[in-house]
Amino acid sequence: MASGENQNEDFTSPTPSIFFDPGTHSASGRLGILQLKRDHLIPTILSSATESEYAEGDVVNTRFGSFPHTTLIGQPWGTQILASVVDTGSRASTSKKRKRDADDDGEGAHKPKLEPKKREVVQAATASSGFVHLVPPSPETWTLCLPHRTQVVYTPDYSYILERLRVRPGDHIIEAGAGSGSFTHAAVRAVFNGYASEKPLANGTQSGNRNYEEAITKKRSKRYGAVYSFEFHKPRAEQLAAEIKEHGLGDSVTITNRDVYEEGFCVGSQDDNRKAPDADAVFLDLPAPWLALKHLTRSPPSAAVVKAVTASSEAPSPSVKEDDPPAQALDSSKPFQSALNPNNAVRICTFSPCIEQVTKTVSAMRSLGWLEIDMVEIMSKRLEVRRERVGLQEEGLRGANASAATVKEAVQRLRDVEGRAKIFHGLQKEKQDEIMRKAEARKRGVKPQTPNGNDRETPKAIKDNIPPSKHDRLERAKKDLENRDLFKEGRLIHRTEPELKTHTSYLVFAVLPRQWSKDDEQKARKKWG
Amino acid sequence: MHSSIRPNSHIALRLPSGILKILEITPNTSINIGKFGVFPANSLLGRPFYFTYEVLDNDDDKSKSELRIVSASELHAETLGEHPTPTESRDDVNEAGVEFDIVGEDGEVIMRSNRLTIDDPSRQTLSMEEIEELKKAGTGSGKEIIAKIMASHMAIDEKTSFSLAKYTLRKSRKYLKRFTVLPVDVGLLTEHFTEKEAYRIMELRQEHIGLIGSWSNAHCANSSRVLFGEDGASQIGGGRWLVVDDTGGLVVAALAERMDILYQNEDDDDDKESQEEDVAPQTDNAVETPQERGHEKLEGVVAAPEPANQPNGMAETEATASNDTPAASTTSDQPQRPRRPPHQHIPQSTSRTNSITILHANNQPNLSILKYFSFDASNPVPNHPLYHHLRTLSWLQLMSPHDDPTYQEPEKLEDDALAAMKSSKRGNYYKKRRRWERTNMIVDETRQGGFDGLVVCSVMGPASILKECVPLVRGGGRVVVYSPNVEPLIELCDLYSKERRAAYVSRQTDPAAKVNGKAQTGIKIEGQEAYDALPEDDEEDFPVNPTSLLAPSLQTSRARQWQVLPGRTHPMMTSKGGAEGYLFTATRVLPIEGKVEARGSFFRGKKRKTAPDAAVQA
Repeated sequence: MASGENQNEDFTSPTPSIFFDPGTHSASGRLGILQLKRDHLIPTILSSATESEYAEGDVVNTRFGSFPHTTLIGQPWGTQILASVVDTGSRASTSKKRKRDADDDGEGAHKPKLEPKKREVVQAATASSGFVHLVPPSPETWTLCLPHRTQVVYTPDYSYILERLRVRPGDHIIEAGAGSGSFTHAAVRAVFNGYASEKPLANGTQSGNRNYEEAITKKRSKRYGAVYSFEFHKPRAEQLAAEIKEHGLGDSVTITNRDVYEEGFCVGSQDDNRKAPDADAVFLDLPAPWLALKHLTRSPPSAAVVKAVTASSEAPSPSVKEDDPPAQALDSSKPFQSALNPNNAVRICTFSPCIEQVTKTVSAMRSLGWLEIDMVEIMSKRLEVRRERVGLQEEGLRGANASAATVKEAVQRLRDVEGRAKIFHGLQKEKQDEIMRKAEARKRGVKPQTPNGNDRETPKAIKDNIPPSKHDRLERAKKDLENRDLFKEGRLIHRTEPELKTHTSYLVFAVLPRQWSKDDEQKARKKWG
Repeated sequence: MHSSIRPNSHIALRLPSGILKILEITPNTSINIGKFGVFPANSLLGRPFYFTYEVLDNDDDKSKSELRIVSASELHAETLGEHPTPTESRDDVNEAGVEFDIVGEDGEVIMRSNRLTIDDPSRQTLSMEEIEELKKAGTGSGKEIIAKIMASHMAIDEKTSFSLAKYTLRKSRKYLKRFTVLPVDVGLLTEHFTEKEAYRIMELRQEHIGLIGSWSNAHCANSSRVLFGEDGASQIGGGRWLVVDDTGGLVVAALAERMDILYQNEDDDDDKESQEEDVAPQTDNAVETPQERGHEKLEGVVAAPEPANQPNGMAETEATASNDTPAASTTSDQPQRPRRPPHQHIPQSTSRTNSITILHANNQPNLSILKYFSFDASNPVPNHPLYHHLRTLSWLQLMSPHDDPTYQEPEKLEDDALAAMKSSKRGNYYKKRRRWERTNMIVDETRQGGFDGLVVCSVMGPASILKECVPLVRGGGRVVVYSPNVEPLIELCDLYSKERRAAYVSRQTDPAAKVNGKAQTGIKIEGQEAYDALPEDDEEDFPVNPTSLLAPSLQTSRARQWQVLPGRTHPMMTSKGGAEGYLFTATRVLPIEGKVEARGSFFRGKKRKTAPDAAVQA
């Protein structure tokens, strides 16, 4: 399939984002994710640059060891990477590598493991223990490791939201309150359907398909999926924009630093209608979604409605009965421009933790003509699965319950204990008797007899029948352990994980159908009768 | 997805009773929604979705009833139990709240509390016969009936405002002649099947569909590169997902929706364009009715459909004299095809990126739900995206292709021998050759693996599926297994447990065990090799390679629905039980050869215990 590959080489369009097409191997300059544990992941932009504080170039230090980028670059995704021996000690005292060379000798105490230092990147030696897995980024892995700036929308919520919003490739979605960007990443995956700059025909497809794809592209210009993201907090918006760019998602995501309550959702110049978000779906993760709803209409809302909707938080104002003209308060200077796709029904989801927010949002939605209003909360949990071992054979072992597993076992143990006690008391008594006998004999002036063989034998015979002592039992359990397969013993159980998210937020869903005028109805009637 | 109702497509009507009715809308027919009325299909065609319509009966001819769009404010007023103008609703909200407060404190409005309510059916003075009479005589929308019923209720003013609202709502559900038009998509089908035949879709809910979509990382990959592994032959990635689906195709549809290959080309964004396009393109209309003609044909190859097998299409042509284009082109299209020279055949399932490969246990995959998206797996049409992006193969073809007759190359004939053949025989010859070519390509490519993800929604034992399929997933690829019940997945988790993995690794690296640590190293995977390396009795302990998946986790999710009404906000009182539905997710990884020593403390900290991937302790 060399031809396929060649086609790739002269493929002029941008390399797809690493989120959409990670390639076969990790590469320098691109994102890679080190997975330490299920919920412990470290995102890293891999770099082969030599300017680093470490002799080995850039290094990721984790609790499972140090991983120089040189060991991470060019690896097939999913590879298990062994930790390397990296001198982390000397870096702590000096910031520059050159300086460190000079100080080297004086710092011996700081350095548990030493590595020869050179100017060029050192080939790191493999450590004796520690590893991570190198996995490609996805919205799910990113959600688990992104730098938290605000509360994060987690996978159970965003997957349901995107499903209910029917967000599909080619759609435009507005997201307000971008926050840490976890929803942004999930949304862009959902809407992505290619790059505008790319040739209509993607690589590798064979001729039949080609005709088909060409037919499609010829038919009409393709609409490319887009995320319009709004964030009120400037540093957050900037940081998110930087991340999006770093992840190669800039073509599909537009981040705007704006107060959407005041300024609405239209981006670009006012005369340029094409620049409007033209949204098919809206996701509002805002403290007061009802204040933003007035900007999400098909036609200018009447002043009364606006007042009713925005005043929701204040005391009731009963006097909004007159048939008002369109609200001028909004922005009298600018012509009205809808942020919504005029040809499609628009779906919305608001994400609010408090029930009061929901009440206000829903009543604003009702005033503004949204339909199919539905409120749900998502309750998700993860389960842990493990084996629970119970039984007397577990005595002294870790991670198991050494109580009796059955009545039979319990009875046996009780018998054993009783048996031991009995024998012990028997022995005690014998000893006592002997002492008494000896004392008697002494009293009578007879020389004490040396204990004959018979006397010794009796306890020995008994000893064989003595139930095992605790010490014996522990010894035996330890010895047995070597021949046991603990991974398949015990009862398989599952339970909810210890940390439970009992409430994330209430989700309000609604739909705003497209506008249907008398003209439209006339047209449809003419066409279909 | 289409923004307005198109002829011969599937739509859903939600009736006042809450029942979803899915039907195919055919021009010039009438749609019967039982006791809620009858109306002409044409009065819905070309109209947008999500509106609620009221059937206004025409006394002379029931089939000529008119439809009226019920405005949003009217609908909301009813749910709120009020009669306001749109802007008023908020104020009424407050009033309602006030009333509610007073009930508790003020004796004067005590009649609004339910203290005096008498539970007696005789309080409704209208008899059943009388109501039936009203219904028969009734023109209008059913509002009159409701009004009469309310008027004849002796104690209507004894009801609290909330119970009155509830009563009105209940009556509206019964008598209002209304319906809401909804587009048929994966979400709606899920809802529909959950209500009616949940077992058919393995009791999947939208929560699960969302989670499956997210965790499988399925997305549109039409701009992904075609890349190959180190052997230069097996493809790695490229947006290809391997699916085992026993839900009748719902999971395939959900994935296809995310990959932009479920819906046929959208072409009706604005009215002018759509008007032209509805008339012009033959291709589009030809596919509108494939499910009608599909039944007879089983060979999954596009070739020479007999013109006779489409009674529906013919009937349509006669019926639609005025609006002839869609049906006419369907019929005229058919007989032409056999006459085309064979090289114009569009090969199926050729797309190298953005594809779904289905593994099926029977001879043919069960993808019946795809019919709602105008795709018939047994008779696919080339202008449906799934024609190019969907691949199917049976387990036999995957596990042992040489035992499958379709994998054997059929006899190749010389050109002159072909020319001498009867045309029907020649057609057959080509059909066989094509089927073989396609099967060959699909089987070989699937066996080479490199898939971006594996999605399993099957009644088969998950371990047996994962044993064969996980090696076909690329490193870093996702594995998602859904099960309605938790037990199969618990067992699966156990097979990938930390302890078992440790035992597996130590057995592999233990020289005494005569195994030379033959872990899977490269990307090139040859099915069972890794397992063959272990002694026989280990097969029982390690039915799957526990080191090939990272971070196996088990989760479940349920959406709880709430009623949001002023002063009456609370979770729904009842909801559906049944299977809870669980999801197993993990990442395919490539373990390195030999003994790997873990580092760090693995005993639980304050938080999060037993991360299964916490490493292998030797």
